[in-house]
Amino acid sequence: MSADDAFAVELKAVTFQRGSRKIFDNVDIRFQRGKVTGVMGPSGCGKTTLLRLMAAQLKPEKGEVWVNGQNLPSLSRSDLFDMRKQFGVLFQSGALFTDLNVFENVAFPLRVHTKLPEEMIRDIVLMKLQAVGLRGAIDLMPDELSGGMKRRVALARAIALDPDILLYDEPFVGQDPIAKGVLVRLIRLLNDALGITSVVVSHDLAETASIADYLYVLGDGQVLGQGKPDELMNSDNPRIRQFMQGIPDGPVPFHFNARDYRDDLLGGR
Amino acid sequence: MSQSQASVTIDELGVLHIKGVLDHSSGALLRQQGEALIRANTAKKLQLNCAEVEKSSSVGLALLLAFMRDGEKYGKTVEVSQLPEDMRKIAEVCGLTDILGIEP
Repeated sequence: MSADDAFAVELKAVTFQRGSRKIFDNVDIRFQRGKVTGVMGPSGCGKTTLLRLMAAQLKPEKGEVWVNGQNLPSLSRSDLFDMRKQFGVLFQSGALFTDLNVFENVAFPLRVHTKLPEEMIRDIVLMKLQAVGLRGAIDLMPDELSGGMKRRVALARAIALDPDILLYDEPFVGQDPIAKGVLVRLIRLLNDALGITSVVVSHDLAETASIADYLYVLGDGQVLGQGKPDELMNSDNPRIRQFMQGIPDGPVPFHFNARDYRDDLLGGR
Repeated sequence: MSQSQASVTIDELGVLHIKGVLDHSSGALLRQQGEALIRANTAKKLQLNCAEVEKSSSVGLALLLAFMRDGEKYGKTVEVSQLPEDMRKIAEVCGLTDILGIEP
């Protein structure tokens, strides 16, 4: 069985669990090539686990994970190493090396994964930093950068090797409104200009919906819904509507399971 | 196309041709080939034709910049022509259109 070329990544009938809890229960998720796909859902619904399955950091109990026509669970260690070069990852924390300046942070993957001469590494680093608007910050250390700047340097590093697929793990968390706006613009720009397949895992609804061509909403180990952002906004499914409209109580209850309140207060313990 | 098919050559009219897939595996060798050809050529103005580039990452743009620097180093002008769409898009997003002398 081979994956459809229209999709850069396909998860087919994937089941993954931690202990007795099923994070994914026989789910199918596909990421269309060259598009921005958002993956949303409440905290703990498995968004980051999904990224780790795609990067082969985790193996599914059942099912297949296809990346650019290769089924990851069947790859050898060296093939997996090569496959991972097709991915760029923007980690939630940014994960910059604190002892390296901006230039060296962006140059790092080029030094590790290529044999390019130093002058070409310098050109590529400058190009990537220019793309994210931070070429002027080349000599700064990470602790001299704002949170938004750190995220942009991390993005420059994530695209240093010209990945086919760019994974964004909660890119908007902890960012001020201006930094969020900059990131939204950059994600769309890089996707469209460089032909990248972008997967944005986030629970920031407004930002993600504004750039995503397609959205998945996850919950309870299942795909609760999928479609274009406006389709999901107008979904009849109460669970999706609750998430998309940020309604505090509904199918996902506001209250965690508890015994009767009256009994709790008056019934004695 | 494999990296072995990527190359920089020069034709009888003195036009440099860069061909194949320009990526992290082919970049270092192409860098050497291009510099040697630019250094050896006696013309004051060299055209670098990119029409036969099959696919390029940022490495392709870094090569063009390196060949332009070679030109300056050896007292010549290197002009880029026939830039394919993927290279043009990378050039635009990285702000290189003016430097490479291409229309945005």
